Amino acid sequence: MATEYETFVRDRSRILSGREVVLTLRDLSPGRKKYRGVNVRAVVSRPPRSGEPVLWIRSVVGLKDSKPCSVRIIEELPEAFAAEPYSDFFDVMEKAERR
Amino acid sequence: MAHKDFRGFLAAIESSGDLVTINDEVDWDQELSGIGRLSCERNGPAFLFTNIKDYGSRIRVAANPIATWRRVAVALNLPADTPLRRLYQVYAEREDKAIPPILVNDGACKDVIIPGDKVDLFDLPVPMVHEGDGGRYLGTWDLVVSKDATSDWVNWGMYRFMVHNERLLTGYPRPTSHLGKMLLEGYVPQGRPMPIAIVIGADLPSHIAAAATFRMSGNEADLAGGLGERPVELIKCETSDLYVPASAEMVIEAEIYPDRVAQEGPYGEYPGYRSGEMGNAICARVTAITHRRDPILTLDTTGFMDSSATTTSISGAIAIKRRLERHDVPVVEVYVPPEGGVHLAVVSVRRGGAEVAQKVVEVLTARRALMSKIIIVDDDVDVFNMAAVIHAFATKCHPDRGTHITRYEGRANALTPAYSLEERIARSGATVAFDATWPPQWPAETTPIRATLDSMYSPDVQRRVLQRWKTLGL
Repeated sequence: MATEYETFVRDRSRILSGREVVLTLRDLSPGRKKYRGVNVRAVVSRPPRSGEPVLWIRSVVGLKDSKPCSVRIIEELPEAFAAEPYSDFFDVMEKAERR
Repeated sequence: MAHKDFRGFLAAIESSGDLVTINDEVDWDQELSGIGRLSCERNGPAFLFTNIKDYGSRIRVAANPIATWRRVAVALNLPADTPLRRLYQVYAEREDKAIPPILVNDGACKDVIIPGDKVDLFDLPVPMVHEGDGGRYLGTWDLVVSKDATSDWVNWGMYRFMVHNERLLTGYPRPTSHLGKMLLEGYVPQGRPMPIAIVIGADLPSHIAAAATFRMSGNEADLAGGLGERPVELIKCETSDLYVPASAEMVIEAEIYPDRVAQEGPYGEYPGYRSGEMGNAICARVTAITHRRDPILTLDTTGFMDSSATTTSISGAIAIKRRLERHDVPVVEVYVPPEGGVHLAVVSVRRGGAEVAQKVVEVLTARRALMSKIIIVDDDVDVFNMAAVIHAFATKCHPDRGTHITRYEGRANALTPAYSLEERIARSGATVAFDATWPPQWPAETTPIRATLDSMYSPDVQRRVLQRWKTLGL
């Protein structure tokens, strides 16, 4: 498992609610596979909890939050979500959360 | 004739002094593209990177093939110092002389064939183009081949694709693009995966044709032949019935899912901003990769004044002119300044006025609405001279009567930075025409006269001044 990830969000409050959420994480481990994407069900904490990988949140324009979070990955999900092309991806992730 | 392959083009721009090769190690993570970005902003050279961190020298990366008019000229096999107006003329002439492609059985793009189950996209030195992008972008200066589900129409387009994992790509051909239309109207209703081929490092005319603003159902392979004055050689893909330029550096064959999505973007795009358009994309699974020995990946360090800016400047302007002519607008010339990020067009007309301005904006927003600002000038203004255009705009456009706005829903450009996040998601927008022409009903005896040498001096004085200017060596 990586020690540092980032994720892009439209609604921070959803991510930081303390409940399980569905996210796409980007692995920030140095090397050839840096920025590899993985879909997960996870819980995000701010301030970060020790022992958990660091998570950086970015906005929809890529602006990085100054304060880090941590992420506890509960399960890895399939590489893509069931939805028609051009569906709103953030809505699709929220729907996946409710399943 | 234009150079037959990408390597021939690189040799030509090296000869003209428009290519710099960097043999020192450069990091694929932002550094490589940062060099390319600065070059775009300073009208600098193209770059060939031969030693890339984590990857060594096996695969090289070429950045910004035609981000300057000099390199566009070389790509069209013209002298590098060809004037811009002449480039426009040559492009328009060659666009009218389509040359169909020829099919071949062998091609350099098949030197190495990697079947889908052996593909790992992280084996390629795909650059992280900007800090804060959603991922690493493989398709920035590419040529994406797709075929209509119910007809023989084959489309070539230039669309961005991001690496999600070892075999999954996500991308953003706009839903209003030709590929988007094929996907949504053909493959999605049938629940069929849509085969595509992402071609990297083909001959330059093929990429220019792919990036060009071109008519629906038009054949870009024919256009590429016309632009290059030679037929493009095409070869069949390994996993689909699509045909690709045989000399390409690399071909990534894939299938777009009709029923799956994954995260794509955000990405710093050609308008010069990262606008937060992420979240409405497609995803594709790679089925094979074929490539030349020691292949060269290509990169357009997308943003202000990138390679797509020059291409769309020419092809977009010519497409606008042809469309206005079809609708009986008295158009004379059209210029799309690359500094405008494909959001600004300048149109000169024989006879202006409110009625013409309104017609221009309506015609140019009827299907797709990429341009958000159009400046209309009289035909005594040189559209390629932006100083003259700004002068006309600032002085002749009435602040109230000279503004003609058309609003639209569902077909606006989601990459337009001026739109709010809500407007970008809904693709809701507007285009404004600034009428910088004299109203035709104004009598000549009271219409202001421009205080320039060519307007406010007698022909005899103009001639003598110009002669004196020459003898002074100025």
